Amino acid sequence: MALAEVEKVQVVAHSDVKMELLSSLQESGLIQLEEATLEEFDLVSSSTEATELEHTLHRLKHALDYFSQEEEKGFLKKLFAQKPSLPRQKRQEVLGFDYQSVLDELEKLEAEKSEILSEIKFLDRERDFLYPLQELSLPVSSVESTDSTEIVLASLPLSQLENLQKLAEEEAIWFEVIHQDKRQIRLLVFYPKQEKIQIEQNLEELDFSHVYFTEPIKSVAEPKDRVKDIMEKIGKKIEEKREEVEALDRARRRLAVEREKIMLVHDVLLNEREKILSSRLLGETERVFYLEGWIRSFDIERLKSYLQSFSENIQLYFRSPLPEEDPPSILENPKPSKPFEVVTKLYGLPQRGSLDPTLPLAPFFFIFVGLCVSEAGYGLIVTILSLLYIKLAKPKGGLLLFLKLLTLLGISTVILGTLVGGWLGFPIRQLMILDPLRDPLSFLILALALGFIQVWFGTLLKLIDGLKNKLILQSIFVQGGWLLLLPSLVLYFLTRHNFWGILSLVGAAGIVFFASPSRNPLARFFGGLYSLYDISRYLADVLSYSRLLALGLATSVIAMVVNTLCQTALDIPWIGWLLAALIFLGGHLFNLAISYLGGFVHSMRLQFVEFFSKFFRSGGKPFKPFEMESKFVEFI
Amino acid sequence: MALGLTLAVLGGALACILGGIGSAIGVGLAGQASSGVMSEDPEKFGSLLLLVALPGTQGIYGFLSAFLVILKIGFTTGAIPKLTVFNGWQILVACLPVAFAGLVSGIHQGKVCASGVYMVAKQPKDLMKPVIMAALVETYAVLGLLITILLLNGIKL
Repeated sequence: MALAEVEKVQVVAHSDVKMELLSSLQESGLIQLEEATLEEFDLVSSSTEATELEHTLHRLKHALDYFSQEEEKGFLKKLFAQKPSLPRQKRQEVLGFDYQSVLDELEKLEAEKSEILSEIKFLDRERDFLYPLQELSLPVSSVESTDSTEIVLASLPLSQLENLQKLAEEEAIWFEVIHQDKRQIRLLVFYPKQEKIQIEQNLEELDFSHVYFTEPIKSVAEPKDRVKDIMEKIGKKIEEKREEVEALDRARRRLAVEREKIMLVHDVLLNEREKILSSRLLGETERVFYLEGWIRSFDIERLKSYLQSFSENIQLYFRSPLPEEDPPSILENPKPSKPFEVVTKLYGLPQRGSLDPTLPLAPFFFIFVGLCVSEAGYGLIVTILSLLYIKLAKPKGGLLLFLKLLTLLGISTVILGTLVGGWLGFPIRQLMILDPLRDPLSFLILALALGFIQVWFGTLLKLIDGLKNKLILQSIFVQGGWLLLLPSLVLYFLTRHNFWGILSLVGAAGIVFFASPSRNPLARFFGGLYSLYDISRYLADVLSYSRLLALGLATSVIAMVVNTLCQTALDIPWIGWLLAALIFLGGHLFNLAISYLGGFVHSMRLQFVEFFSKFFRSGGKPFKPFEMESKFVEFI
Repeated sequence: MALGLTLAVLGGALACILGGIGSAIGVGLAGQASSGVMSEDPEKFGSLLLLVALPGTQGIYGFLSAFLVILKIGFTTGAIPKLTVFNGWQILVACLPVAFAGLVSGIHQGKVCASGVYMVAKQPKDLMKPVIMAALVETYAVLGLLITILLLNGIKL
């Protein structure tokens, strides 16, 4: 129940071995580095190397993002994908690979592609521009004013067409409508050059605007080409460009064979960067540097053996944390209760000197989730699936711990589901000790009894915690008082025997006289009396456990509903069995999901609100060792 | 008597309707919030789904209670017992805890989940904390369900 012992490690070493030593420390992953506090040493100023690495990392990441985008994998394959592995000591060899040229090549191809794409976009726009002019009967090259006549293309709002016709009757204008849509018309217009100024002024009043062929269009246009021919030419050009893009894509995809190597390089450089960044925590003089950090006492020997090769150049010191220091909290639990650390970590790590609540909460959490789900079939499914996933995908770290927890909770559900629930909605009566559907009251009493035990146990832990922290009198009389008062009060109400009544009065007396820290006897007495009011809190806490019954019942009833619906579906002719199978499968999967969600969340709440509030002091800092970080690669 | 039966059916219907309304509003609130977050960060779909689904339980509790009423009045078997008017009132009132607790807690749980969604947007690692916060609200729907089940169980026809 205690936290792992942590010691401060201090290292003084010759500057020549600085980076090598940091590499070794990173490989070992045993130390959490802290900012050097010795005033004789100046902190290392930030180095510029990191920014360059940062840039390379960014490029590598970009390449990897591209590769993973291109890679087509099924959902299952992705789920069970494993990272490539790399031995720690061999990581420098990876950098021998000429990743720069791969990156350059990739980036070159990407740049070419985006250039061609923008060309395609441009051509597309030209084609859109030409679309309304398709019906133009003249070749493009001949839309050119002659010595005496202006020949122009123009657009005009549809509403002005009539006005234009009127104008054409009055003046020497000839026009032909080439294209007409809902708002605009495109025209070919002829008028004599002599009257140009006058006519153009009149035309402008009609919102007449010239349309010019762009230079690129003119340049591809051969003398006899009509608009249609040019559009065709552009279309062909676009096709060609598209093929070029595809060729570029193929070339880029061919580079994907280097993907794994790029991953290795990325992670190795990532760790190089971390190393450089962490070197800022070091203190340094001209010849010597100094670093300090936290280490588990348990790991000290391992650290020493790791640093054997430096023994001539370094000096190691270890000491216990000082009272004013705030070392990280490391949970340390035996194998069976280790998965329950997931629950503790979610709430927060214990402060220094507080109990680790993982072991105490483990049996309760195990039982509570089982009772909330209380459906053995679901438990079996969850157990099998989590074991399969652990076996096939080989997850690490937090995910592995969580899956182990799920396995345990699945087992708990199988056991408790058989005892108080059923198998996929079908209870096996011979194996049941209690049927919550027929006898909910007994189940309620069971739930409240479990709650009472946990609340009482939490108070006991507070007593132990108090004794450890030298609050002896108060702990024994107040916490001890509650420990005596609560059960004897329950027994008194159950048996009405005077013995239990007297016992509860003794417990209450302890609380009344020692709960208040005041020195004034009167204030102390009334303060103590007031703290007896806490009994309502204990009552509320215990009643809160009634949710175990409600959630357990909800699962069983929904499972039953699913089965009843199946039965009804079976009566439908021909496809009844199919519908029933679908309802059975979907219904139970749905129920499984919401029951586990509810079971998990509510059991957790019972730990956090009802149990932890009795004794647990959170606020510890997590242990973040300086270690090999892996994003795409597993370092072994 | 037909009135008794009608009242009982009304009770079951109320449980399902009010619980459903609570959940629909709650899930709606959380869903809106999460769509907003996902517009910036589509990767979060999985973790946000959990928060959006959470206020959905009230509707399930209501549905479940309604189903218990259906079982009680024998709609599944066809053997409908003769309900007195008092029986009908009893079943109706027994449904009220889950109905109203579900209605109100569903809405408020939705609000807690919606702000949880915003929290996850900024602190993706702390997903479970808002989930627990939302579960604190759900407690009262669970208690309502519990009492409805116990009351329904206690009514002898």
